[in-house]
Amino acid sequence: MGANLFANYGEAVAVILFGIGFSNLLLQKNLIKKIIGLNIMDTAVYLFLAEKGYIEGRMAPIVVDGIQSVDAYINPIPSGLVLTGIVVSVSVTALMLSLTIRLYRRYHTLDLDEISTQLKKEGR
Amino acid sequence: MAFVQNFPFFSIVLSMFAGTVSSVLPQKPAKYLNTAVICIVGTMSAVLLGFTLQTGESFTYMMGHFPAPWGNEIRAGVLEAAMALFFCIIMLLSLLGGRKKLLGEVEITKHNLYYILINLLLSSLLALIYTNDLFTAYVFVEINTISACGLIMIRENGRTIEAAVRYMIMSLLGSGLLLIGICMLYDLTGHLLMSNIREAVAQIVAEGTYSMPLLVTIALISVGLAIKSALFPFHSWLPDAYGYSTVSSAAILSSLVSKGYVFLLIKIFYRVIGFSIIRESKIIDVLFLFGLAGIIFGSLSAIKENDIRRMIAFSSVAQIGYIYMGIGLGTDVGMIASVFHIIAHAATKSLLFVAAIGLTDVSGGSRKFIDLTGAAYRNKVAGVAFTVGSLSMVGVPVFAGFISKFLFANAAVYNSGKMLPALVVLSISTILNAIYFMKTVIRIYTPAKTDYPCITWKQEKLYAVTMVLFMILNIILGMGSQPIVDLIQQGLSTFA
Amino acid sequence: MKETVWVIVPVLIPVIMGIFLLFMKPSKSRKTLLWITAAGLFVTAGLVGYVLSLGDAGYTLFYLTDTLPVFFRVDSVSRLFVSVVTFIWICSGLYAFEYMKHEENNKRYFGFYLLVYGILVGLDFSGNLVTFYMFYELMTLLSMPLVLHNRSHEAVMAGLKYLFYSFFGAYMVLFGIYFIYHYANTMSFTAGGVFDAAVLAENRSLLLAAAFLMLIGFGVKAGMFPLHAWLPTAHPVAPAPASAALSGIIVKGGVLGIVRVVFYIFGADFLKGTWVQTVWMTLALLTVFMGSMLAFLEKGFKKRLAYSTVSQISYILFGLSVLQPVAVTGALLHVVFHAIIKCTLFLCAGAVIYQTGKTKVEELSGIGKQMPVTIWCYTFVSLALIGIPPTSGFVSKWYLATGALQSGTGIFTWLGPVVLLLSALLTAGYLLPVTVKGFLPGNDFDYVSLQKREANGWMLMPILLLTICAVALGMFPNSLAEFFAAFVPQLM
Repeated sequence: MGANLFANYGEAVAVILFGIGFSNLLLQKNLIKKIIGLNIMDTAVYLFLAEKGYIEGRMAPIVVDGIQSVDAYINPIPSGLVLTGIVVSVSVTALMLSLTIRLYRRYHTLDLDEISTQLKKEGR
Repeated sequence: MAFVQNFPFFSIVLSMFAGTVSSVLPQKPAKYLNTAVICIVGTMSAVLLGFTLQTGESFTYMMGHFPAPWGNEIRAGVLEAAMALFFCIIMLLSLLGGRKKLLGEVEITKHNLYYILINLLLSSLLALIYTNDLFTAYVFVEINTISACGLIMIRENGRTIEAAVRYMIMSLLGSGLLLIGICMLYDLTGHLLMSNIREAVAQIVAEGTYSMPLLVTIALISVGLAIKSALFPFHSWLPDAYGYSTVSSAAILSSLVSKGYVFLLIKIFYRVIGFSIIRESKIIDVLFLFGLAGIIFGSLSAIKENDIRRMIAFSSVAQIGYIYMGIGLGTDVGMIASVFHIIAHAATKSLLFVAAIGLTDVSGGSRKFIDLTGAAYRNKVAGVAFTVGSLSMVGVPVFAGFISKFLFANAAVYNSGKMLPALVVLSISTILNAIYFMKTVIRIYTPAKTDYPCITWKQEKLYAVTMVLFMILNIILGMGSQPIVDLIQQGLSTFA
Repeated sequence: MKETVWVIVPVLIPVIMGIFLLFMKPSKSRKTLLWITAAGLFVTAGLVGYVLSLGDAGYTLFYLTDTLPVFFRVDSVSRLFVSVVTFIWICSGLYAFEYMKHEENNKRYFGFYLLVYGILVGLDFSGNLVTFYMFYELMTLLSMPLVLHNRSHEAVMAGLKYLFYSFFGAYMVLFGIYFIYHYANTMSFTAGGVFDAAVLAENRSLLLAAAFLMLIGFGVKAGMFPLHAWLPTAHPVAPAPASAALSGIIVKGGVLGIVRVVFYIFGADFLKGTWVQTVWMTLALLTVFMGSMLAFLEKGFKKRLAYSTVSQISYILFGLSVLQPVAVTGALLHVVFHAIIKCTLFLCAGAVIYQTGKTKVEELSGIGKQMPVTIWCYTFVSLALIGIPPTSGFVSKWYLATGALQSGTGIFTWLGPVVLLLSALLTAGYLLPVTVKGFLPGNDFDYVSLQKREANGWMLMPILLLTICAVALGMFPNSLAEFFAAFVPQLM
């Protein structure tokens, strides 16, 4: 178990980071911190994927000087997944930030609980 | 390859394309384009349903003709086609029923934005139904989340933005878990296509290695999708989001969006992991327990609620609980019951939301029960429709709700270990349902001396027609359920 | 069995006419309303008669799922119940023509009155448990507007109480149905039960629990302890003819449910000698005594009659619970007699309220001088309910007591008759004071200001008719007894 963990330290770090991001997104009251948590979480997943896709001593599958055997290249799919994931996470982050701006303009605070109490006071 | 087999792909692309085009269209053409697209997709799904019923098999469709491990695939069978058709019907009816309200609640300049979101939502729902590739599923889950968030906050006020933020946070937590689950599954099996993963998983299980990581993966994916579909205790965003958004959004969100995730989960259970493996893992018991807790909690909260829209929203929490309870029973019969409940609840809940808006409109826009007194006399169509929806929810025979309750109970009896809790909770929740829905029905039929205007069906023809169609749909589901159950059974058997 | 669509016609006609009445323009005169109601009642009665003349008829309307048909069938029990329903419904309906003059919203009342009639016919004709359950739920829902007719706060609360108790009971029944659906071959009512002996033996404790739940569930509608509390609240707040119908007929829906479940689904042999039977008998006897006692203590006239219903229905339940042919015959006879008698009592109470506005028993002194015909009728049916020969109540109670004595159910063989006798004394104690005070108000009564306030013909005619039936059926019970002798032994 311990040896396994040490051999795959990249994945271990990724999972720990995921946990940090997840709990930030869940527990922070401040909206900006929540969004940062979201980004940590997503990045952790990309680290995990990149770690999976990387094989020591191999190249990216880009043909430079003639096609070599399959053993010379790494698996490109994880990299592709990371790229797709980044696109998704950027758009989600943008949406979250714009929502945060809206809320800040209305209630002049970034604290979600504070906003809830203000809403209750409005009585709507 | 028959031409019909292109239809799943066409319908996804068509709705996505319509979404893109709508961004440059003015409000009216965008509206008509949207209606047309839903109708066309519905027709295509119906044709596809006929086709798959005729052949009796499912088929996979290779995107760009890349063969299995490399390319992206779409898979369509009886159940997928039926779901797509049903989702189109509900979406169309919800939009028609809420159209007038939309004009009042959303700025006119934002209307084409609304239809962009609806088109995107439709395309992502269709993709969730049809896709055979897990990562594609993830991407469309996110598209679904974003467009749903847009639908919540398009009616702009503090409540909806707050609800949208809460919805986004919960959804992002869910999709984060889903994503890492998918990545770990990819790590374990080396595939992203569902059928390939299935073979690899079967191999892993046969060898007995990696049982713990597999369990964790299943847990991550199940919990991720459970959060997204608002299973108790992850429902905190739901009452505000459903309660304050414009009515079409609420109807579509409650009846389609959350159901899309549940459908994806069922698909993953059957097509990716294999139902026998799921059954042996303890995950399903956890889902079962949370389902039961959700049923009780949702119903109790609904009883306490003093606002008709939020009451219906809390009832959704309970109904999602039913679906997870059915999944948690861990039998094929239970799964059939759950899928049927997805359909029955979608039909009933959208009906209730649209009917409720008809009632609040004739009560000076207030949604408090005290103001709703006698609303059914002021808007007769909405009153009758709300009663029909309530009876269906309570589970009176002839309406859709009875059949799904009956299927659940029947499924529960097949699982001796979970029979008693399931049946007890089923009866308790039925009584609780009866309490809050009948209370509302009596309230709206209690005459009151108010000077709110009356609305006859002639003034709102579109609304009245929609309501009648909704009621017919509900009664069809209640009286002619056998073909639908058979169809679900056939579809699930081709899943495996 | 003959497949014929005629079976559902008497269900549909009143339902359609009821809906028509509800949606009729309010501007139509009351006369039109009454004509339509009368037409609905008599046409349906004719159709019911025709269907009964067809013999063993049935009809499958449609299939809810492959194994759940909505299925109608006319058997002996259907015949018995549907005849009672039709008779009472017509009498109470004609009475309402006059009585409802002093209530508002006649259109809604008569609309729902017809609707419930159709539903009740459907309930009686139901050929399997799911159909029965469907009509049972509809009966609850549609009879509720009759309870909360006058829309006062009290009435609405009573209506809600009625609704929730009924739903609670209905879901206990549904709970049992789930088990039956799983273990039984069919849900169609079959005399002697639908289960295979092997299945029964194997899942004995589970199915006993299911049977018990269904008994309690239907017992709610029949006002059986411990879920009887809705009945004395809900029945008195309704308009008198509706109370009569509710107390006379709707509670019998629960009785019919128990008959169907015990004799047509589980089979009497299965329950004989089990804890379910013991508990059932205990509850029934307890309710008999408690209902009489509470009626004795109650001051409100209609509420006293409602408590009396609680007690009398449990006579029926006790008769059924003994699971012995003679006692069951007695129970079914009491179904008929109690329906007639309780309907008359409520109609008399209604007449008193309509003419004088008095609702408390103690205000009624001298009422016999004001409304002699009504109070004489009241006295006759009271005697019948107490069970004084040669009236009808005597016959049914005689059967009940003999049945219990022959049953061999241990302590209940003698405890049953004793409680019945005791309760009969209490019945006399709570019914007869009205007569005694009514005719003999005492010396200090003000005879001078007394005036005749007899109710008019529309109200008196049904009361007289019912009274004659209540007494005459006791004198000539032979044809009824023959009818029972033909099918009751098959149930065992």
